[in-house]
Amino acid sequence: MSFSESLKGLYQTVFKNNYSPITGGILLALFVILLEMWYRPWGIVGGLRNWGEWVLYGIGFLEEAPPHPLWFSSSVLNIGLILGAFISATLANEFGLRIPPRLEIIKAIVAGILMGIGSALAQGCNIGGFYMAIANLSASGIAMMLGLVVGVFIGVKYLLWELEHFSSSGGIEISTKKINPVLGIIALAILLYGIYAYFSSDSEEGLLLGGALLLTACIGFVMHRSRFCIVNSFREPFLSGEAEMARGVALSILIATFGILLIKMAGIREPMTYVTPTFVWGALIGGLIFGAAMVVAGGCGSGALWRVAEGQVKLMIVVIFFALTNSILRYYLDNVWEVWDKGWLGGAVFLPDYFGYGGAFILLALIIILWYLFVDWNEKSEKFVIGL
Amino acid sequence: MVDLSTIKPDEVLDCKGLSCPMPMLKTKKALQKLGSGQILEVLSTDPGSKNDIPKMCEKEGYEFLGMIEETGYTRFFIKKK
Repeated sequence: MSFSESLKGLYQTVFKNNYSPITGGILLALFVILLEMWYRPWGIVGGLRNWGEWVLYGIGFLEEAPPHPLWFSSSVLNIGLILGAFISATLANEFGLRIPPRLEIIKAIVAGILMGIGSALAQGCNIGGFYMAIANLSASGIAMMLGLVVGVFIGVKYLLWELEHFSSSGGIEISTKKINPVLGIIALAILLYGIYAYFSSDSEEGLLLGGALLLTACIGFVMHRSRFCIVNSFREPFLSGEAEMARGVALSILIATFGILLIKMAGIREPMTYVTPTFVWGALIGGLIFGAAMVVAGGCGSGALWRVAEGQVKLMIVVIFFALTNSILRYYLDNVWEVWDKGWLGGAVFLPDYFGYGGAFILLALIIILWYLFVDWNEKSEKFVIGL
Repeated sequence: MVDLSTIKPDEVLDCKGLSCPMPMLKTKKALQKLGSGQILEVLSTDPGSKNDIPKMCEKEGYEFLGMIEETGYTRFFIKKK
């Protein structure tokens, strides 16, 4: 085999082939740990809210201008994720504008609004409220997981009902196949310029934001290549029994939790980072609403963003209504009703305060391993499959 | 190997513009309605379908005949055994 064939093979493996959910999950956890070490925990909703707040400011609902999206870390995380996923989609020639039939557009609006509500109550989507909450040793992550399971069950019931009563067709794709590689190279150039601009800026935060942009681009790239989907991991055990994605997600959370445990033990991040006053009601109820909605949307917080980056118009609609609803509801929850100070939706529970760092990790690891074993067993026994 | 371009499907399912999991669910439902030996053609624009449909066929015991890439969508051919 010649050297150029090896080079071609490497390109094929990294940029064209799909990664397995296990590979995706391990790589995702690696970048998530690096991001928390470098700067801050990964999140989605904070950035969406920032974008929503700019719309609210534009129409006069908010009096004060929100932070600049390019200098607000939560927003930069989402920009990185979308750029990374877009580079993955275009270089693999999988990008194209997919316009769904009307029923899907209605579902996108309703699901987007409900995701905005659920993520406001839980102070995060299933990244900030579940994946990263568990990894940051917060009890709220477990509460949201329970809410998600019940919510997803309801969402699956809805999908099966819809299938019996409605049919929709007539969607189209506006293909960009011929220019996809060019789009990919332009996006890569924008990403590299962005990182360079942050690194060479005079601002104190420039270096941190540049690294965050790079790492979240890696996250977006890996998520798109592996089509990493937390909705799938909760939904398929009910719908088909299939558990490959669930095993990938479980492994990913376990590794991320291990890494961030060490980061917090070493004192690199404050212990209470990403431990929100949502235990138990905010996380549980928010998780339930978010779980049902994300099944109908066909993507969670992160899953919606990487699908936006491959041109799924349905998910673009989801993200718009998600961001707007979340920013409006959080305005009332934070500033008008002051629910967090009053503790109406629960308290902030940092598990090591009760069990020590070792005990907290063992508890979380046990829960994740039990989940892994459950979906794996269910794949063969199909005991909990309610699908077609 | 079957020549896909000459296949006359018994049923065509249009999943264009739909995103995960709708193409999968609709395909499964359409296959259940088919008689044995009949062929379903699915039109999908979701990149995930290229993995999901063959995998589902293997799991559920349908024969996946192959796919043809057109501009803007992919045609999948599935035979019910």
